[in-house]
Amino acid sequence: MNHQLELRNVTKAFNTEEGKMGALEGISLVVKPKEFLCIIGPSGCGKTTLLRLIAGLDYPSSGEIILDGKEVKGPSPDRGMVFQEFSLFPWRTVLKNVEFGLEIKGMKDKARKELAERYIELVGLKGFENCYPYELSGGMKQRVAIARALATEPAILLMDEPFGSVDAQTRNILQEELLEIWKRTKKTILFVTHSVDEAVYLADRVAVMSARPGCLIKCLSIDIPRPRKRTSVEVNEFREQLLMLLSLERSKACISV
Amino acid sequence: MREKKGLHFLKRRGIIEIIGISTVVVIWQLVASFIVKKTYLLPSPYEVFFAFYTVREVIPIDIYISLLHFGIGLGAGTAVGITLGALMGGFKLVDRAMDPIMEILRAIPPIAWIPFAIIWLKLTHYSAGFVVFVGAIFPILINTYTGFKSVDKIYIDAAKVLGCKKGMSLIKSVVLPYSLPYIAAGTRIGMGIGWMCVVAAEMFGASGRVGLGWRLWNRFYALHMMDKLVAYMIIIGLIALLLDRVFRYFVEETTLKWRKGMVAA
Repeated sequence: MNHQLELRNVTKAFNTEEGKMGALEGISLVVKPKEFLCIIGPSGCGKTTLLRLIAGLDYPSSGEIILDGKEVKGPSPDRGMVFQEFSLFPWRTVLKNVEFGLEIKGMKDKARKELAERYIELVGLKGFENCYPYELSGGMKQRVAIARALATEPAILLMDEPFGSVDAQTRNILQEELLEIWKRTKKTILFVTHSVDEAVYLADRVAVMSARPGCLIKCLSIDIPRPRKRTSVEVNEFREQLLMLLSLERSKACISV
Repeated sequence: MREKKGLHFLKRRGIIEIIGISTVVVIWQLVASFIVKKTYLLPSPYEVFFAFYTVREVIPIDIYISLLHFGIGLGAGTAVGITLGALMGGFKLVDRAMDPIMEILRAIPPIAWIPFAIIWLKLTHYSAGFVVFVGAIFPILINTYTGFKSVDKIYIDAAKVLGCKKGMSLIKSVVLPYSLPYIAAGTRIGMGIGWMCVVAAEMFGASGRVGLGWRLWNRFYALHMMDKLVAYMIIIGLIALLLDRVFRYFVEETTLKWRKGMVAA
């Protein structure tokens, strides 16, 4: 299977007290298999909404989301998701959290444990299997969340600003680790962020969104070979381009408000 | 903070507690023997101690019977309370239909149910159990309801993305474990109220001639044996304390270990 994700003219509006509020406007996008795509945009532009639509946690008002030739209708473990907030089940240990999706699948105890342990090792948390989430740091929690999302072996990993609430140094480490995991598991990754640095460091391609209602204004291929240096000239050039696009969007947003 | 060296031994566990209890007992003894001087107005600790000895033969059977009443009521209260609370928390329609009925029933003191307990269930263990049930069910029901209502959406979303589809599997894997601390807190409150109800129901003879409450009222009070009555009051209090401690130990230390790092205490 080549796991291709396609968005066709996806629109989403929410009903509010002041009437319909457009969140997303005519988004069309093809995500190639094994691609690392970052979505970036000013805050409130609907990045998270877009990811929730792809996850199947919300439904588009119009348009279609197609994965492997089938329309997305509701959540499914073929699209793993890592949330911005800490989403580990606090009543389960690290191991039991990672096993959750496998339990639902009905996998046998032993196979389940082995598989979960493999993913815990992959995110570098061997030895923490029996800890409860409250015993972990923010960065560790998100690593477990990644392991949990990967354990059900999804075609696509959706990540909604997963490193937004960890400190800058941990964030750099987590980014490097994520790239390593991506290389080893060969997943397609859709990564929402508001950080230009993060997008340029991680992505094959960066999709820039406009202010609300969000639509895609530009797709930028980041053709810098990996491993990338955060301070190299090429990286800085891309950062400058993205920052300019975003500041243009921000000023537009101000006018429309 | 600096402290005087001489008082340092007070910091040891248990010392302060023992001093506290002893002080109360000594004051009680002094008041009883030098000020009140009448056993039926205030039996002294010394007399109460002997009362324990004279009634030692009936204590175990009374405790056993009262615990039986308590167990029947709490068992039924937990089962029905959790089920109804879950239904009301899970389904808006059930919630709206049941809420006013529950609010009215909740306002009736459990003791007011004693006449019907006796008429419906005769003088059996079940009739005292029924009063306990009425006392215990509401805190359990309301806490279960609150627990079900306050599940963070993020956990539901996370479970859905991981493949939880049907309502039942969401409830089993997410809502119930999330609500467990709420249910436990409700059960703890329900146990306290239930134990009071046992004593009251037995006093009214809801279950015939047995139980701590029955003996306290119909034997010791009726015959003005106030020393024995105080002895039974102490037993009733100690059992309530013990039940609470045992519950806390088993539930909070084992089942709810994950809560430890999340709450202030």
